[in-house]
Amino acid sequence: MTSENDDMGLAMSSISMFNKSSNTSDSFFSSCWDPIVSQSGSLGGSSMASHYHLVMENQGISGTSHVSHYQSDPSFVELVSKLTGFDGGNLSQMVGPFSLPQCNQVANRRCPPNFTLNTEGGNERGSTNSLRFLDEHRISKEALVGTSPNGKIRKCAPESGSPLRSCKNGDEEPVMDLSSEGCDGPREQARKKPETEQNTGANSRGKQAVKQDKDSSQSEEAPKENYIHVRARRGQATNSHSLAERVRREKISERMRLLQELVPGCNKITGKAVMLDEIINYVQSLQQQVEFLSMKLATVNPEINLDLDRILSKDILHQRSGSAAVLGLGPGSNSPYGFSPSTFPGTISGIPNKNPQFPPLPQTVLENELLNLFQMGFSGSTMDGFGLNGQLKPEM
Amino acid sequence: MDLHNLNPSSLKSRFTTRFLRALTEINARKPIASSSSPREIFQRYRRIKDAADTSMAYSVRSRRTWSKATLWRLRTPSHRRRLASFGRRSSLNKTRTTTTASHRGAVVVQITSRGGGLGVQLEELRELVPGGEAMDLCNLLDETAHYIKCLTTQVQVMRTIANLYSLE
Repeated sequence: MTSENDDMGLAMSSISMFNKSSNTSDSFFSSCWDPIVSQSGSLGGSSMASHYHLVMENQGISGTSHVSHYQSDPSFVELVSKLTGFDGGNLSQMVGPFSLPQCNQVANRRCPPNFTLNTEGGNERGSTNSLRFLDEHRISKEALVGTSPNGKIRKCAPESGSPLRSCKNGDEEPVMDLSSEGCDGPREQARKKPETEQNTGANSRGKQAVKQDKDSSQSEEAPKENYIHVRARRGQATNSHSLAERVRREKISERMRLLQELVPGCNKITGKAVMLDEIINYVQSLQQQVEFLSMKLATVNPEINLDLDRILSKDILHQRSGSAAVLGLGPGSNSPYGFSPSTFPGTISGIPNKNPQFPPLPQTVLENELLNLFQMGFSGSTMDGFGLNGQLKPEM
Repeated sequence: MDLHNLNPSSLKSRFTTRFLRALTEINARKPIASSSSPREIFQRYRRIKDAADTSMAYSVRSRRTWSKATLWRLRTPSHRRRLASFGRRSSLNKTRTTTTASHRGAVVVQITSRGGGLGVQLEELRELVPGGEAMDLCNLLDETAHYIKCLTTQVQVMRTIANLYSLE
């Protein structure tokens, strides 16, 4: 009992919820919450309401002395145990058995109820669960009554972004390692401004903006879920379709960024269309390089038997710029892709000279000759890389 | 990338071993005579290219759509491939693609433009990346990234091998 009180006390004292400067808000809160306290709720509603009141009062008084007024209700303990059993699952499931008209009332009164409670100590899980549940419930009610322009959807996506987990504002909040590499579930709904998640979108709520700055994040991990809670940004449509669209677009832009890193020389390019053009060119050039190299391998006669042992040595795995530079095929020598069949003498001499040593210039000549020959002579198969596209401009 | 590929199980080394094995096998089968006709050279080239693609697709540890598509393309003969791809593509992309047959077994997929002006490029990308016809943009970009990575590895290894051969 006392331990629980202590926990609650600690929790309350570490909460920085509302504008402490405004006294009016305190009185407002107290008046706001009075009807809740006065009502004797059913099924643990009273305990929750009293918990609310507990929190509110603490703000006005900023002392833990009043915590002692509220003995920990046995119903509250029951509530906590009940809520832990829910495991942070579906919000509607949690909302269902706990119909709290008080919360609705609160929401309607535009009390800034978005306090995310910091909990420390041993009984965190239970208390945070309950508190978070309250938070969620309240927020859901908000959304329902439309007091805030925010909405939330759930998306199925096993994303593993979890910087939200690392919200420790210096407090000793041990992150509950429920190993939720999956989506961060209901915890998302109580996120604050400093966290801008790609998965979830930024949470900047208008009314609670100031409070969110002072809020400390929750420490608890959502249990592993298969969906992402996304919150709409301020001023954006809360239609579920548009939210889904936004998530999808963010995914696509993230992938485009990855591709930008892969393709050389694309740092300054902004815009999907140009980026896609570059990507297409690069893939085409890579495929052409493969074809050219395989043709070169076809013509070169390995007179010296290279056994596998020597081949698998470091020579092959590490020779990248050495010999390539010798042969003038180093990257950046001609085109940004390191390979530019740009000059086409167009003359066809005897093909493949068995001279195993190819000086740099005749190499391009050889390649061109081979290309021309194959294009003209062999029509039996598709020659993808040597088509009349991209950089190859054969002059026939 | 030069120095930390001693990892025996990296993509590069896996590809290298496979490809070299295939190369030696091809060379052993039909050694280059001094009077090889261009046709023979061409056949050799085709075999080497297929060997390179196959070994690359096999070396991909995690199953990827493009690797599966490459292997499938190299295995099934063209006529069967055409029939299969008709059914596959039409069933998968009913809403946005129409398949038209073209010559020599290459099926051209025409994608009706959807989603803001990127249609032509998307179609090109789909054609480039093997197996990319039946994927949405998000997955397609993913596959493209992986495909680019593997292609660069392939080019590096083949270039080094060619240089080794030609320098001796």
